[in-house]
Amino acid sequence: MFSWIKVLGSRIRGWVSIRHVDEDFSEELATHLEMLTQENIRRGMTPEQARRAARVRLGGLTQLRETHRELHGLPAVDTILKDARYAFRTLKKDFGFTAVVVLTLALGIGANSTVFSWINATLLNPLPGVADQTRVVTLMRGSGDRISSSFSYPDYADLRDRNHVFSGLVASAIYPMSLTYNEKPERIWGTVVSENYFDAFRVKLQYGRGFLPAEGKVPGGAPVAVISYHLWESSFAGNPAIVGQKIQLNNHTYTLVGVAPREFLGSYTALRSEIWVPMMMHRQIFPIGEDLLKDRGDSWLIIQGRLKPGVSSEQAQPELHTLMQQIAEQYPKEHEGRQGISVYALWKVPFGATAFLGTVLLSLMAIAGVVLLLACANVANLMLVRGVSRTREMGIRLSLGATRGRLVRQLLTESMMLAILGGGVAVLVTLWTSKAFASLRPPSQLPIWLSIQVDHRVLLASLAISVLTGVVFGLLPALRASGINPASVVKEASGSVGGGRRKIRLSSGLAVAQIALSLLMLVFAGLMIRSFQKAQGFNPGFNANSVFLASYDLLPEGYTNEQALQFHQQLLAKIEALPGVRAASLSDWVPLGFMSSSSSFVPEGYQSKPHELIEAGIARVSPNYLRTMEIPLLEGREFRVDDTKKNRSVVIINQALAERYWPQQDAVGKRVRIDGDWATVIGIARTMNYYHLNESPVPFIYLPLYRDYVPSVTLHVRVSGNPADLALAAQNAIHDMNANLPVFDITELATRIQVASGVQRIAGSTVGVFGLLALALAALGIYGVIAYSTNQRTHEIGIRMALGAHPRDILGLVVGQGVHLTLFGGGIGLAASLLLARLLSRLLFGVTSSDPFTFIGVTILLAGAALLACYIPARRATKVDPLVALRYE
Amino acid sequence: MILLWYVHRREGMSESKSEILQGTLDLMVLKTLAAMGPLHGYGIARRIERISEEALQINQGTIYASLVRLLQRGWISATWGASENNRKAKFYSLTRAGRKRLAAEADNWERISGVIGRVLRLAERR
Repeated sequence: MFSWIKVLGSRIRGWVSIRHVDEDFSEELATHLEMLTQENIRRGMTPEQARRAARVRLGGLTQLRETHRELHGLPAVDTILKDARYAFRTLKKDFGFTAVVVLTLALGIGANSTVFSWINATLLNPLPGVADQTRVVTLMRGSGDRISSSFSYPDYADLRDRNHVFSGLVASAIYPMSLTYNEKPERIWGTVVSENYFDAFRVKLQYGRGFLPAEGKVPGGAPVAVISYHLWESSFAGNPAIVGQKIQLNNHTYTLVGVAPREFLGSYTALRSEIWVPMMMHRQIFPIGEDLLKDRGDSWLIIQGRLKPGVSSEQAQPELHTLMQQIAEQYPKEHEGRQGISVYALWKVPFGATAFLGTVLLSLMAIAGVVLLLACANVANLMLVRGVSRTREMGIRLSLGATRGRLVRQLLTESMMLAILGGGVAVLVTLWTSKAFASLRPPSQLPIWLSIQVDHRVLLASLAISVLTGVVFGLLPALRASGINPASVVKEASGSVGGGRRKIRLSSGLAVAQIALSLLMLVFAGLMIRSFQKAQGFNPGFNANSVFLASYDLLPEGYTNEQALQFHQQLLAKIEALPGVRAASLSDWVPLGFMSSSSSFVPEGYQSKPHELIEAGIARVSPNYLRTMEIPLLEGREFRVDDTKKNRSVVIINQALAERYWPQQDAVGKRVRIDGDWATVIGIARTMNYYHLNESPVPFIYLPLYRDYVPSVTLHVRVSGNPADLALAAQNAIHDMNANLPVFDITELATRIQVASGVQRIAGSTVGVFGLLALALAALGIYGVIAYSTNQRTHEIGIRMALGAHPRDILGLVVGQGVHLTLFGGGIGLAASLLLARLLSRLLFGVTSSDPFTFIGVTILLAGAALLACYIPARRATKVDPLVALRYE
Repeated sequence: MILLWYVHRREGMSESKSEILQGTLDLMVLKTLAAMGPLHGYGIARRIERISEEALQINQGTIYASLVRLLQRGWISATWGASENNRKAKFYSLTRAGRKRLAAEADNWERISGVIGRVLRLAERR
């Protein structure tokens, strides 16, 4: 059974020491021959006769050695090596050609391996450090379009206890926290998790332990924490003895029980958590509002689960769906609108980084594929041209008895070698470009973290792409170059007439393809860049210029409700008094970030359909918020300082909400029931963009910040001068009131909302670069074809000039050929662009996929480049000396 | 022919037609080594010729292809030694795996040749 392995092993050993084996065998044969000779002599032959007879008896020595060698070694490998050596020599001889091809391929392959390295780090490895990620899924509440990522704790507990499909169901929520160890408090992002967290994700801790089952039982009874490797290194000096020590987290004392491994960042893709505490400590971490562990109506947890062995997510889906519907029937009030469950693989999760990156990266991968195709067309054309100059070589080898297959293999070895060289350079490029993704990362208050590396998967993918590339660009020219009639080649002096025409036609075809592909790429690039511009200049419905932000959190400082209220109000008064400040306000939310908060509510007098989901985005804002943000107030008034008492609840709604629930009525004075209280509408603000640039109008409710205990807020200050100048003054004002209060996320609003155009930024810059590459490749392609065919026509041009043609005529002749190609390729490219650009519509913003401005612009650009590429060889053609040209052959 | 082919399929390798004869040669080499003990290439070739009463006239060189195949499968081993005339010669001997192989192949061979014999006799009688 395994004998072939044994044989292969022995063959490899033999192949490695083939010289030794050869000598050995020669010696053995000599002995054999000697013995035969002796025997023949004994039989009465003369020594001379005996030797000859022995040789006949043994068989041809050379043939025996050859057979022996083949049996011993790896003949296939020998041939490949021979081909490779030959290819290497040929390529070295033609260094200019090799360099151009390798560079072209490196760009094409590099574009792909770069995008792949981004995909590898995100979609293929959504949660680094989590074992067997394909078995982990994320649950979403509801189905179809009406889905939500969050669940309430009682719902989680029911799902956990009643399902039969998960070996572990995990709940978690991420919060900013204040960590104190030794001296100054540090603001970090931490995750509150169910106690089975590390076990279910199969994360092996670096030091210490994860959480115990007992730590998931008693609310407030598990003051333990696990820290990230990063925090352990940065704040605890990488000391393993830290396990067992005490720290302060939001004013409570915890014991550190473990350090997570270096690669594990947490359970949300591209977000880095620094600390994990058991769910039972939620009230201690977030002591505001209702006790969320008991409240079924408040959804705040993300649920992920590891499927039991043998259970697929398709099998899990119906059981969970039914389970959730049962829960919803049991508690109908808390589950209006969303009753089922949808199960998502980690890389497809429709919120967070995967949602953000999924469309962009997959589109970029497809576009990078077009770049590679273009590079292949380019190189194929170069190979084709080169093949013509090697016609003689091929013809001679064919007439000497080489088979066509042998020649094709030889030529393919050459192209494979070029492809692998190109791939190698591409990997070097990728080492650098893979990091470029991090620089495209939008600024955000969230702990966004991507660790992109060129790992074995990227290397393997690059190799696979290279090999595929080698076949794609090499096969056609190889078949062409070897498919010749040796007789005609030997007859024709240099093969410049007969075969040349067909080759020019093929080569022109490739040039047309290049022009078409690069026009397609340029259209993509143009659309993306225009989208990015539009997104940058987009008016979101508020004025983001000249506003700066600064955040602070009073909770870890132990402020009570009254103290916090006083602090907020005094601070605002101080800020407003600063010179250059036009308006200032506080809010617990910043628009167009990744953050959103929503709540179900009841509009007074509205007849709802059964199970209708009535939900609005919410934000808590101080007086003057609309004025600070320059959000137009259409009716009514803003909040006042005295809108504090719960019994006199007021809200401001947006126009979208008013029109949806009270059409053709005056919404001011109507009431909404929110958070269990009825509140009166006192104002209507114009609808703006709250979460994304592309969003249909969102119903929105502004709640008065002073009504509730809101310790963590962001200060919004509109200034008349440079925001940066006032940021320091504002920070000082805060520190005047409390010198120890950390002030964080100090930035301008215009900078902060760049995250909303993140997709357009990534796509615009990447595809923009690809477009430039495409333009260069196309110009190079046209130049190559024209230069080559002009060169082929030197003789003809010489005759024309000798017969009195003017240089201008020659110029027109050559450029005309280029124009012809460009028109043809351009036409195909425009048609393809009109069709294919529609696929990008999800990435576009503010432009249609057939944006005439883009189409006209890139066509002119390409035509310009093409003309320039033709002009250089045309110019050279006019300089042809008729005498030299006629002697050319 | 078909039955001989069957013998080779048992090795787990599909071999070409020209190697079918080699397979029989391999079996003869194994048998020779089993009967005579360690032997050099010349000795093996001579022995096979003699046993077959010179009916099987082979190019003695072909024996070496057979020896390489058997070596590669681990059925025989080789060491350098001195011949009867004190010449440096490579001696081949049967390994334990080779002995087992020979037993299996020989059984097979007996059975097959028995079957062939019966088939031929049967054909004669009709």
